[in-house]
Amino acid sequence: MVKKIRIATQGLFLLIFLWLFLQTEAKGANELGYPVKIFLDADPLIFITTILASRDWYKTLYLAIFVIVATVFLGRAFCGWICPLGTMNNMVSVLKKQQRKTVAIDWYRFKYYILIFLLTSSLFSLQLIGIVDPISLLIRSFSLAVYPLTSSATNAIFDAGYNTNIPFIVSISEFLSSLLKKIFLPFQQPFYLQSAFIGLLFFLVLGLNLLERRFWCRYLCPLGAFLGIVSRYAFLKRSVSEGCNECGACASVCQGSAVPDLKDNWKKAECLVCMNCDDLCHKNVVHFGFMKKQTSAGLDLGKRRMLGSILSGLIAVPLLRITPVVKTGVPDPKLIRPPGALQEKEFLRKCVKCGECMKVCITNGLQPTFLEAGIEGIWSPVLVPRIGYCEYRCTLCGQVCPTGAIKRLNLPEKTKVKIGLAMIDKGRCLPHAHATPCIVCEEVCPTPKKAIWFDQVRVKNREGKELILKQPRVDLEICIGCGICEAKCPVLGQPAIYVTSIGESRSRDNQLLLP
Amino acid sequence: MDRRDFLKTAIVSGVTFVIPNIADTFLDVLEAAEKADLIVAHGLSPASITKAAIDGLGGIKRFISNGDIVVVKPNIGWDRTPEYAATTNPEVVSTVVRLCYEAGAKQVKVFDRSVVDPRRCYIQSGIADASSAVGGIVSFVDDRKFRDVKLPGISLKSWPLYKEIFEADKVINVPIAKVHNLSTLTLGMKNWMGMMGGLRGRIHQKIEGSLVDVAIAIKPTLIVLDAVRILTANGPQGGDLADVKQLNTVIAGTDQVAVDAFGATLFGLKGANIGYVVAGYKAGLGTMDLSKVKIKKITV
Repeated sequence: MVKKIRIATQGLFLLIFLWLFLQTEAKGANELGYPVKIFLDADPLIFITTILASRDWYKTLYLAIFVIVATVFLGRAFCGWICPLGTMNNMVSVLKKQQRKTVAIDWYRFKYYILIFLLTSSLFSLQLIGIVDPISLLIRSFSLAVYPLTSSATNAIFDAGYNTNIPFIVSISEFLSSLLKKIFLPFQQPFYLQSAFIGLLFFLVLGLNLLERRFWCRYLCPLGAFLGIVSRYAFLKRSVSEGCNECGACASVCQGSAVPDLKDNWKKAECLVCMNCDDLCHKNVVHFGFMKKQTSAGLDLGKRRMLGSILSGLIAVPLLRITPVVKTGVPDPKLIRPPGALQEKEFLRKCVKCGECMKVCITNGLQPTFLEAGIEGIWSPVLVPRIGYCEYRCTLCGQVCPTGAIKRLNLPEKTKVKIGLAMIDKGRCLPHAHATPCIVCEEVCPTPKKAIWFDQVRVKNREGKELILKQPRVDLEICIGCGICEAKCPVLGQPAIYVTSIGESRSRDNQLLLP
Repeated sequence: MDRRDFLKTAIVSGVTFVIPNIADTFLDVLEAAEKADLIVAHGLSPASITKAAIDGLGGIKRFISNGDIVVVKPNIGWDRTPEYAATTNPEVVSTVVRLCYEAGAKQVKVFDRSVVDPRRCYIQSGIADASSAVGGIVSFVDDRKFRDVKLPGISLKSWPLYKEIFEADKVINVPIAKVHNLSTLTLGMKNWMGMMGGLRGRIHQKIEGSLVDVAIAIKPTLIVLDAVRILTANGPQGGDLADVKQLNTVIAGTDQVAVDAFGATLFGLKGANIGYVVAGYKAGLGTMDLSKVKIKKITV
């Protein structure tokens, strides 16, 4: 019975998660209208590491605190009942045969070392949690890989239906396609750099369930480790009364590494409160309750290993920062951050690489970095104008950022923020170099007084015929670096006008013009 | 002049010519039905002047028959709200849609290939909501529905154009009059760029001939040029209310060149100043010389 309720609860939260994920998409209004980042808001590990790394109080903290309090009462119920990645691991685990013995009984400690490493480095301002936090990992993998691949596959099927040109099949296929478009397909096919890489990592996490059920949750998840530590003092207790004949059946159904068959020596921090041991026990001697007396084994992580994790966390901080990209003027000039992004140092301390901004970006222009911002900044957002520009009146990335790494801007603020500057490559520009009219860049420039203006000049073409041409120029004071000029420049390949990060409002030093 | 002053002046000046003319309107409409080629309707309500302009040409039934599938093609190119005059006035669009249904149209489709994000353009322009409210079938452009179409070859021999426009029984062009720096102004013929697929920015290299090529391929039944507000600078996208001029005017006609030639006069220019108007005239698409066009002005 408990099992059914649990599965229903897990299903419900997974559906809520997926539904909110699907709502993380522009519909044309200025706001999304749904609390799409609520799972990230509720993630205590993101909450704590962000506060540690940024030394900055954090606005949407109530839910994360609520989850911590709930864990004090109920143990790792979040893992067993709510976490959408946990639920997906659960689902994939069904493919794995049940077995009595776990792969290696000690591996469960590994996640605590990851946690200690991450907490230590965040204490010294290096924020790496996003790489392995389960909610970040899940949203990033879904946004950048799983959803785009689902959409691509579905559209391929409907395109095939459409291209049959058999009216009957076309109408059915089009009907289904428009229906699915309303329910779950994206407005346009998303494309992301590294999507295959990020997707493979995610499928690896799922695939590990075949090695061991809930492998990720047992051995790797730092959020699980954190909640495990909190849950050691949980009020919800498990007891095994007299009459247990030590049949060991409970050991094989335990979703964590809690070794419930060891009775008094079971590991409370590893219990996901799935209550399978209670459900299954033939003797009905296992009980969960608030009044029970319990004994359980302590969490012994080993002093040397803990010290090792702490030291690694410490060393990681300078190690990842002795890259030249921290010097002014050195970073990849194409590292164009979204509008409202904090100054780079602050930004990296807050960005949790969840990919929400990339998911919501209306033009698909926000892409994950690889090493442009150092290892520290891997999978943080960068605008790649050739893929998509920054839409002038859109403020969605700031609205969905869970930690404020991208500030929430109102419309008037957004239209003033510079994320870079455009410059013209006169060697490629049609009116500048090739005596051919164009000024598409001028047409699409969105500022009320256009940042791209033009000069009327007389030029001669090869035949010596005199033409009057409009040659574009950029007003560096007005240009906000949105990149629509680069996106729409008809000179394909290397564009004739392009944006680099110089001039970005968030930086004091990365400037061209005198203040 | 700030926005409020601007609106105030517009309303006051509007009111002065509305009052003495109410009585004449009805007669004007009846008279115009007979002979005019171009109707210029003036008045405070975009819906009324749109209807009056079409009525002036003989009424919607002259253009739309029972059971027709109609495409109404507004300019939904930009993410701007209507007061910025970057997109066709939503009331003008919805009035045209409504009139088509009143004339017995089976379906009235509304779409445009926006330059920036279509979701924002459709919503922010007010056109999606206004058109759906009167039964218009509003859809986003579907990339699969572009087909290579053979063109006259003034500048383009062929180009992918939106097939729904060729499948429709009737096409009504509903552009807005704006400044466009490369082609001077964007009026009716320029609005067909919204039916072009592919990397259409390239046509800027030979914009006059390209637009005429497409305008010849897509023969609209009717053109309703929105000049309720016109954008006089920083077009075609605008963004500054100081660049918007409230004219409270709608022009209706059937000659693509004549409508655009008249549109030019709203900006103090002539058809001869607009490259594609001249090119359209030379290609025999219509009349550029307004003295040869019977123009009827109506005030509602």
